[in-house]
Amino acid sequence: MLQVNNINVFYGKIHALKDVSLNVNQGEIVALIGANGAGKSTTLKTISGMLRSRTGDITFMDESISHIDPYKLISRGLAHVPEGRRVFLQMTVQENLEMGAYTCKDHTKEGLEDVYNRFPRLLHRKNQIAGTLSGGEQQMLAMGRALMGQPKLLMLDEPSMGLAPILVQFIFDMILELKSAGATILLVEQNAEMALKIADRAYVMESGRIVLSGTGEELANSDAIKKAYLGG
Amino acid sequence: MITLIQALLNGLSLGSIYALIALGYTMVYGIAKMLNFAHGDVIMVGAYAVITSVVQAKMPGVLGVVVSIAICALLGVTIEFLAYRPLRKAASLTVLITAIGVSYLLQNVAQLIYGTEQKAFPELFDSIPTLTLGEVSIEGSLLLTLGLTAVIMAALTLFINYTRVGKAMRAVSEDKEAAELMGISVNRTITVTFAIGSVLAAVASVFYGASYTYIRPTTGAMPGIKAFTAAVFGGIGSIPGAMLGGILLGVIEQMSKTYISTKWSDAIVFGVLVLVLVIKPTGLLGKKISEKV
Ligand SMILES: Nc1ncnc2c1ncn2[C@@H]1O[C@H](COP(=O)(O)OP(=O)(O)OP(=O)(O)O)[C@@H](O)[C@H]1O
Ligand SMILES: [Mg+2]
Repeated sequence: MLQVNNINVFYGKIHALKDVSLNVNQGEIVALIGANGAGKSTTLKTISGMLRSRTGDITFMDESISHIDPYKLISRGLAHVPEGRRVFLQMTVQENLEMGAYTCKDHTKEGLEDVYNRFPRLLHRKNQIAGTLSGGEQQMLAMGRALMGQPKLLMLDEPSMGLAPILVQFIFDMILELKSAGATILLVEQNAEMALKIADRAYVMESGRIVLSGTGEELANSDAIKKAYLGG
Repeated sequence: MITLIQALLNGLSLGSIYALIALGYTMVYGIAKMLNFAHGDVIMVGAYAVITSVVQAKMPGVLGVVVSIAICALLGVTIEFLAYRPLRKAASLTVLITAIGVSYLLQNVAQLIYGTEQKAFPELFDSIPTLTLGEVSIEGSLLLTLGLTAVIMAALTLFINYTRVGKAMRAVSEDKEAAELMGISVNRTITVTFAIGSVLAAVASVFYGASYTYIRPTTGAMPGIKAFTAAVFGGIGSIPGAMLGGILLGVIEQMSKTYISTKWSDAIVFGVLVLVLVIKPTGLLGKKISEKV
């Protein structure tokens, strides 16, 4: 579904991604894990066109998206929930969700129903300004907003960041639920243990390179991973 | 008392013109995060467009206004496309200098076409009767300015708050990257913003021309700078702020002219601005600007 072939991305002189290749197949949850500054967010930003690679190619649904304008990706089915949620803080919950359906406004009504079903807390706050939501609610809103665009592939950048364990569990359950409903997910996480538990496959990044890959289970049991990320 | 009412009405009318122009500054700032210093000159172009179409081409006044609006909208969009879009990722100082350059360019082109001599603005509103209430007489053009500005402001507020494009504009103004992830084209949104701002400037140019009667290539500079002041005064980036700032500025200016001194009115206006910014640096209705990393 998504193929990233040998991309190299720079911030000025900083070589942030080095020969990164990865792929995501239809219906999978693929996790991308690694320490702070490894290049996970940079990878997602490059896939969604906010950054450009100097080499290689990115294809989505068998078409190259390496040079496409970022705003055109959601209508092709590629959604990105960025790091730090990035909801529109001065707009209401409902307005945020409506923006999610910007490219498919006929779907707004069903979309809202679906999102409010998944996240009942958002329904109670639909006319509240997003800036007044808690961190967990903002994460739900960011995910809900992305779902409004009816994505085929959902890229999530650290959805568990800064959340209490119970909410982390809720978000991960939601990801599994989305998968069983047919979604494909590329999940970036610091919380390697949780991510490997739900992932079909995973890639490990270290200073801009993919250093390991395998099934979630393989990686969870590998000694290198245990040492580096799972605390022994 | 009559003097006071008359001054207040004139102030409101002047303030309406400032507010219309200030909206262009503030919307462009809010959405493209740049100061479009050529915005004042769009007023000058709008006024000349009326002169050419009504005085020279003998079109009816209403049609002249429509032509002026169309030309300004096209001009605003073209300026954005040619001068500012290539600089989207450039430093803000670069963009500012470019805007000043565009301003001089427009003034010089106007000078080439129309010469440095001032040109009379056609008397578009003469047929509107003057309203007399007791000893206060209100000119028809003043009533039209107040009425039309109120309608435009209400329409703009509804547009921004309730339409899909209006919401997209707010989304872009808050977070361009997130807006693009929603499928909103930032470039197209900025184009729409310049078009709206320039249309408002064209409307302002008609009112301005009607009350100042003579137009020259540098005509846009003073209302431009006053309206910019009004936008800062109200809180740059804030739409209600620009409306409030414009109206207040007009009233303060007119009151100073009537009760203190014509010579000092500009100094008083800018003095009030400095005072407001010292007390509330973000302007009257401005939000705290948090720099994003
Ligand atoms: N805008 C930028 N300008 C310069 N360097 C950057 C920029 N953004 C990221 N970097 C650098 O690129 C590298 C990769 O950053 P990235 O944000 O992709 O890491 P990450 O794996 O997402 O980390 P985290 O888990 O902390 O979010 C880091 O060394 C970072 O300092
Ligand atoms: Mg990151």
